[in-house]
Amino acid sequence: MPEPAALQGFASCHTCGKVSVLSADPAAETARCPRCRTPLHLRKPYSLQRTWALLLAAGALYVPANLLPIMEVRGIQGAQNSTILSGVITFWQMGSYPVAIIIFTASVVIPLMKVAALVWLCLAAQGHTVSPPRALNRVYYITELLGRWSMVDVFVVAVLATMVKLGALMTITPGPAAVSFAGVVILTMFSAMSFDPRLIWDRHRESLLNSRNADPAVGDNAYGPEEKGISTPTLLHNPCDRLRLP
Amino acid sequence: MPVRYHHPAAAAATTTTVAALMKRHHPGLSWPQIQDGPMRVACHFCDTLQESPRLREGDAAYCCCCGRQLYRNRAHSLARAVSFSSAGLILMVIAHSFPFLSMKSGGLSTRLTLVETVFTFWGEGSPLLAVAVTFFTIFAPLVLLGGLLYISVPLRYGAAFPGSLTVACWFQRFEPWSMLEVFLLGILVSLLKLGHLAHVTYDTGLWALAGVVVCTSAAMAGIDRMELWDRLEIAQQPVTERAA
Repeated sequence: MPEPAALQGFASCHTCGKVSVLSADPAAETARCPRCRTPLHLRKPYSLQRTWALLLAAGALYVPANLLPIMEVRGIQGAQNSTILSGVITFWQMGSYPVAIIIFTASVVIPLMKVAALVWLCLAAQGHTVSPPRALNRVYYITELLGRWSMVDVFVVAVLATMVKLGALMTITPGPAAVSFAGVVILTMFSAMSFDPRLIWDRHRESLLNSRNADPAVGDNAYGPEEKGISTPTLLHNPCDRLRLP
Repeated sequence: MPVRYHHPAAAAATTTTVAALMKRHHPGLSWPQIQDGPMRVACHFCDTLQESPRLREGDAAYCCCCGRQLYRNRAHSLARAVSFSSAGLILMVIAHSFPFLSMKSGGLSTRLTLVETVFTFWGEGSPLLAVAVTFFTIFAPLVLLGGLLYISVPLRYGAAFPGSLTVACWFQRFEPWSMLEVFLLGILVSLLKLGHLAHVTYDTGLWALAGVVVCTSAAMAGIDRMELWDRLEIAQQPVTERAA
């Protein structure tokens, strides 16, 4: 396991990726990237606290998002409210299974999986669970990638409310759950952005060093000579070759 | 401060030849980089410090520790960024000028455009959603395509417009918030619901919107972020330093 850049006094800019020297003294808190002027940090500040707080807020908003009506259909037969789940059930009964599956995946499965994934990542970064860090990397990557697609339900309400304005015949208006659901999506996206995956690797390195120090034959607190300094990345021409890497 | 270039031919180059060097496309070669000290990159996932060697076109560098892609050299990256972002902007004008869908039922007709959607939310008493939809579907995609065009057009000639660094920062911050492709999926899903109610016709706007979505993702995928920042860094250098 190679030594991290933070231990060698280097911070990589989160915006432009430039690696620059960052001293550990408190005055360096105001240091900025020489290339893009973004404030430099070794790790995202208060990463876990922010992630937990935003997750809690998203969880609180998830309750009204599912209980309150997401749209209101007023027609000849009178007013009718539909929640997210009742909309899915209606589509399923109408026989349009693909739509029911898309709505169910985007507005129920993805937000729940996202919250579960972030809770797992936070617990792993705090050392409460142990999982292979490469798998956690993948979980984080997928969580960031899929998060935005939950917004599809809000956009469906937007399209239906704009199109179905047929006076007394039928009118659709957005309900209070649409705002809460948009809030859930935005908060979970911010939560995923404030999480720092490097914390997982810090935890992993720490546990590796601890187990090494327990071995009396090694007895050294630091990284081995072959793990110090700068390593070389793997260069590949064909991205498929990556699957064959160890 | 003397600035050395990674490119072997650039070592003794004067200002004019440096500009020419960056303007010209070198098949199979990497983009020019400023070198003040050894070039390094740290993995955003596991923070492993690594050398950043120049790549041949089509090559990619992967982290030696966690296997994530660090950066890659895309072929014709600047040409792709310029062409796809300008095409996307033109299509965006079309997508805003024509409705996506129109529906006729019982003498009433409704049309769907992005601005109409925002007005509906505003009028139905959810101004928060109106602001969110404006931001996600109108403002963020515009910043994304316009920002990329503003940065990459002068970069083709080895220069940078004023404020390019700020634009590049914002462009990168807005990337996850541009949700036009999600909106397109939303239109397709609600089409299946609307189809039962009335006769719905597709309009020019829908095809233009699909074009914007394709062009946005092609423009974003066309150029590596590290290449964009490296080129910007060189273009930002004062001419006197470049000649030194």
